[in-house]
Amino acid sequence: MKLIHKLLIFTFLCSALSYAQTRVSGTVVDDQGAALPGVSILIKGSTDSAVTDLDGTYSLNVSNNAVLVFSFIGFATQEIAVSGKQVIDIRLKPDEQVLDEVVVIGYGAVARDKISSSVVTVKGNELTKMTASNAAESLQGKAAGVQVISGGGNPGASPQILIRGITSNNGTQPLIVLDGVPLAQGTSLNLLNPADIESFQILKDASASAIYGSRASNGVVLVTTKRGAEGKPTINVDFSQGYQTLQKIKMAGASEYMQVMNLRRTNDGNAPLYNPANYSTSTDWWDETIENYAPILNFNIRAAGGTDKLKYAASVSYFKQESNYAKGSYEKITGRFNTDFKISDKVTLKQDLNPRLEKYGNTPDQLYNILRIDPLTPVYLPQDERTGNKYSIYEGSNNQVPNPVASIARLFNETNFFGLVSNTQLNYEIIDGLNVNSQFGLNINQARQDVFNPTYYITPNDQRQINNVSRRVDENFNYVWNNTINYTKNFGKHYVNLLGGVLFDSQKYNYVAAYRENVPNDENSDLWYLDAATGQGMSVGGVEAVETIFSGIFRGIYSYDNRYFLTATIRADESSKFAKGNRLGVFPSISAAWDIDSESFFKADFVNNLRLKAGYGQIGNQNIDRNGQFFAVGSGNYVLGGDRVVTNFLSQFGNPNLKWETVEDINLGLNATLFDNAWDFSLEYYQKTSKDLLFYVELPNYTGIPGSVAQNVGSFQSRGWDFQVGYNHKWGDFTMDLNLNVSTNKSRATELAPGNEQLFGQYREDLGGRYIKMTEQGSTVGLFYGFQTAGIFQNQTQINSHASENGQLMQPNAQPGDLIFVDKNRDGVLDDKDLTVIGNPFPDFYGGLTANFGYKNFDLSMQWYGSYGNDVFNYPRTFIASGTQDVNVAAGTLGRVWTPENPSAEFPRLTLNDQNGNYQRPSSLFIEDASYLRLRNLQIGYTFKFKGSEKLRLYVSGQNLLTITKYSGFDPEVSSGGNVINDFGVDYGRYPVARTYLMGINLTL
Amino acid sequence: MKKYILLAIFSLQLLSCSKDDFLNQPLRGRQELDDYFSNAENAELFVNSVYTQVNGESWYEIEFFRQICEMATDDNWAGNTEQPRPDITGIAAFNVFAGSGYINSFWENTYIGITRANIALERIPAINMDENLKERLMGEARFLRAWYYFDLARNFGGVPIITTYTELLQPDITNTTRSSVDQVYDFVEAELALAIEELPLKSQYAAEDAGRATKGAAQTLLAKAFLYREKWSLAQNMAQQVISSGEYQLEPSFENIHSVHNHHGVESIFEVEMITNFQFTDIGGTISTTSGSRADQGWGWCTPSSDLENAFLSENDQVRLRSTIIKHGEPVYGDPAVTSFNAALASNKSGRINRKAYIPVADRESPYTIGQHPLPVIRFRLADVILMHAEASFFAGDEQAARQSLQQIRNRVSLTTDMNMGGNTLRDAIWKERRLELALEQERFYDLKRQKVNGVSRFATIMGTNGSFVQYNTRVSTDPFETTNNGEAQNKGALFNPGVHLLWPIPPREIQLSGGVITQNPGY
Repeated sequence: MKLIHKLLIFTFLCSALSYAQTRVSGTVVDDQGAALPGVSILIKGSTDSAVTDLDGTYSLNVSNNAVLVFSFIGFATQEIAVSGKQVIDIRLKPDEQVLDEVVVIGYGAVARDKISSSVVTVKGNELTKMTASNAAESLQGKAAGVQVISGGGNPGASPQILIRGITSNNGTQPLIVLDGVPLAQGTSLNLLNPADIESFQILKDASASAIYGSRASNGVVLVTTKRGAEGKPTINVDFSQGYQTLQKIKMAGASEYMQVMNLRRTNDGNAPLYNPANYSTSTDWWDETIENYAPILNFNIRAAGGTDKLKYAASVSYFKQESNYAKGSYEKITGRFNTDFKISDKVTLKQDLNPRLEKYGNTPDQLYNILRIDPLTPVYLPQDERTGNKYSIYEGSNNQVPNPVASIARLFNETNFFGLVSNTQLNYEIIDGLNVNSQFGLNINQARQDVFNPTYYITPNDQRQINNVSRRVDENFNYVWNNTINYTKNFGKHYVNLLGGVLFDSQKYNYVAAYRENVPNDENSDLWYLDAATGQGMSVGGVEAVETIFSGIFRGIYSYDNRYFLTATIRADESSKFAKGNRLGVFPSISAAWDIDSESFFKADFVNNLRLKAGYGQIGNQNIDRNGQFFAVGSGNYVLGGDRVVTNFLSQFGNPNLKWETVEDINLGLNATLFDNAWDFSLEYYQKTSKDLLFYVELPNYTGIPGSVAQNVGSFQSRGWDFQVGYNHKWGDFTMDLNLNVSTNKSRATELAPGNEQLFGQYREDLGGRYIKMTEQGSTVGLFYGFQTAGIFQNQTQINSHASENGQLMQPNAQPGDLIFVDKNRDGVLDDKDLTVIGNPFPDFYGGLTANFGYKNFDLSMQWYGSYGNDVFNYPRTFIASGTQDVNVAAGTLGRVWTPENPSAEFPRLTLNDQNGNYQRPSSLFIEDASYLRLRNLQIGYTFKFKGSEKLRLYVSGQNLLTITKYSGFDPEVSSGGNVINDFGVDYGRYPVARTYLMGINLTL
Repeated sequence: MKKYILLAIFSLQLLSCSKDDFLNQPLRGRQELDDYFSNAENAELFVNSVYTQVNGESWYEIEFFRQICEMATDDNWAGNTEQPRPDITGIAAFNVFAGSGYINSFWENTYIGITRANIALERIPAINMDENLKERLMGEARFLRAWYYFDLARNFGGVPIITTYTELLQPDITNTTRSSVDQVYDFVEAELALAIEELPLKSQYAAEDAGRATKGAAQTLLAKAFLYREKWSLAQNMAQQVISSGEYQLEPSFENIHSVHNHHGVESIFEVEMITNFQFTDIGGTISTTSGSRADQGWGWCTPSSDLENAFLSENDQVRLRSTIIKHGEPVYGDPAVTSFNAALASNKSGRINRKAYIPVADRESPYTIGQHPLPVIRFRLADVILMHAEASFFAGDEQAARQSLQQIRNRVSLTTDMNMGGNTLRDAIWKERRLELALEQERFYDLKRQKVNGVSRFATIMGTNGSFVQYNTRVSTDPFETTNNGEAQNKGALFNPGVHLLWPIPPREIQLSGGVITQNPGY
């Protein structure tokens, strides 16, 4: 009641004030601060207006609650509430901001203010500041709620995008839609030249993405490429070149290695292994394999322009990145030709072509072996012992780690990739506002992998007696055919936008592979083809798989008076991945927004825009194997009666009851723009709950089931906050533009199938044949699982007191210097029932800061990315201070392991037998806090301006220059593979992210 | 324009009609299980796949696990002192951690064999086909399933018993618990009794079917199961049935039993045949490489001990010694190409190599490659049955029959037999004969476990700090090879604990994946 009273009084005051008249004056300037003459100023809802003079000044009589609308051709229209002010100075933003206001959404585009769902835009020019082959890499830290997980420093590696956490156990990559064409799950953004990208629209909540239905539960990334504009041609040339370096990891030299190996034995009462007098070699394997500088190069030329009948944008780019090994590179050539034809007043045709060539000269994966191989082994055999071919001149190591120099020398593995994306759109405007559109998007690509494995001999366990050559060709033929009808109309204060459509999506995959042994020459690469092979050993393979989706969509957008906005969508999908009867999925959504600042009662004049929005929707996921429903019979060989016979067996357990995984999503958000648009805030809360989770259940091996079985069970929930704040300002010649975003997310398994209350990942045979990742009902997904440690036993008394109530020792084999494992369930016995959560790979929060500064012709930009509270399973710690399996140890290990003289050591004692299992169990010894803050990019440029719009910019930049972290591994930003739940945060010592130094030019003509 | 609209509507119509065609995407390139069991040929191909898990489809799946078990006995060392492989040498020395890859792999692949057998046994009966062939195929699958459960029981004790395919599709399959070891053996015995009825004799098979399970193989396995369970009379009787079937004879010359030239020989009851076929990998043998000398293209694992050599010498058994052990620096018996064998002393604990796995140079395939060796893996042979008969007869109180069987085996290798032996002397002679006759044939590990003196497993008297084998190696032995190569500790077996090591650990993964319903063996 009291509230209503207050509201009434407030409303009354507002209306009373509205009668007061006042005179307002001010100056209108452009974004550079120059006066703008001729700007029209209209009092909203009336015909009263004024125009600025040559100095950009104006004045007019207004009522106190009036809203002024400033508009000028080439500049964004702005509305300012008078709210009793007498001076209103304003800065208009240039034309591209106007273009900004039209936002591409699913199957169409609308004005930004009509959108009531959670959509975040990242502009193309923000992405090209970094030199990277993959635009997703540049996306890291740019948008709240969007986590980019690096694919490592491997040339051509593709990062993963994770939008608002995890709601699915199976496939977490968002759907990528390129100019309206949904791409196949897991398509790498390598297919694009980052410089061709106009913008990324990231649809974060279901009310935005439900129009993409069955494939949208991980969010949707809409990629829009640049198109031509009417006017004289513009030509852009970008060139950058630089090099990448890796930070060296220091391993023990021969002397320390021998001491550690001998101590491992003598500590167990055995004889020492090495007599240092017999060894003179000390090989630094890092120096033997890693090159200090690996070049990176990027070149791009682009032309755009057109007439009212034909507009074009064309580009060609070349990118090359070499690895820091002797081998390994990635090369890419892309072209893009976007054309818009106006066939008649009613009919327009767009035709885009995007061919590309990519070449992966396979990068060796030897870091792990470089760390492990002993330093006593020389790289090469002595000259007089070299009897074999050139791949056999290498020494076999003493500790049986493959010689990495030899492995690199005989690696011949190259993948050539050809792809073509064609996108045809025909639009017919039946009457004003009513359009039918037919879009045919074609995505064909072919990857051809050629491998040659030469003969070599290093040791009996490390040899190949017959060489072999193989080729594998993978082809994808995907098309979508979207037919939509759209009606848009303003009726007074009412705005209506209706869309309906019928869609077809087909993805056909096939491969053919051939392998044959015995090519005449190991060293003549001209003969490394199947035609030259003559051996008996050969194999061929080939198959095809198709998946299709047939869909119907509807969307209605309504707004009233630009104050209230409502969007409702519904999509029905039928997918071939499911058996008949389970195919149909229906995905509805609704969202609403309220522009509070447009209300007459809203008086805070420092607020330019204030919007509240809420959305609800359902989206789907069908990320399972195309053949997941089938029970398939495979074949093999056996011998009977002296001959090979064929064997048949069940090779895949199917599930004909599979159906969609559905995600329910709620989004609440508040956006505000303040102080003449200088500040920009956005705060959103979301909750996504999946049900009928699709996942591959791994059954106990006693079922004899090969692999795992796809099932629909359980529920995940993901929730968190996205916060974004931007600030831009100009002081004279100095400009500043800051953008900070911070996100939180917690993804839990709220319900799991009976019998699957725990899901496991990352099987580690060397850690006792256990899984180190675990997802448990009620907890965060993908936690680290193992034994908790409680320090190191200092003496026998401590070992004796670590016992059950009846005095049974829990670690009877322990000696002083061994790890203390916690009896988690307090049953007096240390066994697998004491396995517990020992770490969480997901951060408490993560975020990015982008800062751009300008002073006259200088510009400086910085990009930071950070993650706080995330743990990493540092797998190299399982050997780097123990020498398990006699592998090498980190330099300085002798000072880091327990001895009676070093009781506070971080690592347990050296032991060969390891009867306490210090290194045979997953434990908190291997878990580290890997919070980090990284300077992703720092760039300084200078621009020479010529007549007209011609300009030349020179810059230098550094990528990944600085990383602040306590993590002791090589790179805190780790993932061991493509499955976020089970791979994220596990460090197997993969190719780390390199530091990159670059110089470049941008030329605009 | 109207015609375009009509055209568009028409094509849409057309496409919606063919919507089902658009959405029906069958499995390509592989047959579906429900369509598969439609004829006799497929039934046979499916049963073929049940055989592959007897030896595994790659060296590490099953075969190498058996070798590791051999390494854990007094007949062998881990042997390879060049490669630091605690996952192998640890087990061989009874420093065993749950989770060994080889133990896990044995468990996993054996159960894959069981599931294949279960599918065959469930689906074949419905096929309209020749009833005799159907019965034989059922018998083959049943024999192999029994083999797998037998193999699990003797390594792990009680294990989950899965007998149908249908139950795998039920959600409560993950609640299956371990049955007791007796339940597993009971199942094995009952199944073998059926298989014996269903299976033909070895002589009834066509030549191209050589290697399929026979009545004799099922009887041999049943005799062995009886022996393991100390059902002496039943074991004696079952062994006798094999012996008197007339299907098998002792190979006249001991050295020809394990030969690339003797596939499915007269003594062979059940074997996994190995051939060289470079078009297909892994249908040839692997043990010649894994147990070969590192100076002879081998990996040097599982090398015979001087303790085993001494056992032959104590009987003056030169015939079997020369066909069992190759010694460094000496000629290889049966291989004129090698006059002084190089056992790669620096990386070979005992300077000895398994002759039964050795292929003479002239008989080798080219190139000599793991997975291509044409040396058969004989799982059951008549001598094993005769010695089981001897042992079972002895414990059943029929010493005369025991002596006769013992004598039969010794006669072949020209050793005399004291036909007046009785009591423990006879028992020990039978046990020793078993060691010498079947040395390195992957029986010793299980014999030591099941053979008991005063209720104590013989393993416990041989291994452990005070075990005879450990004492011999640490105090008595003057073997020039073993005592000088410290790469493998001389006190192998000292860590043996009879309360723990008579069973291998259950793979921890099973415990995790079953949510603790599957329990671990004591001490792991």
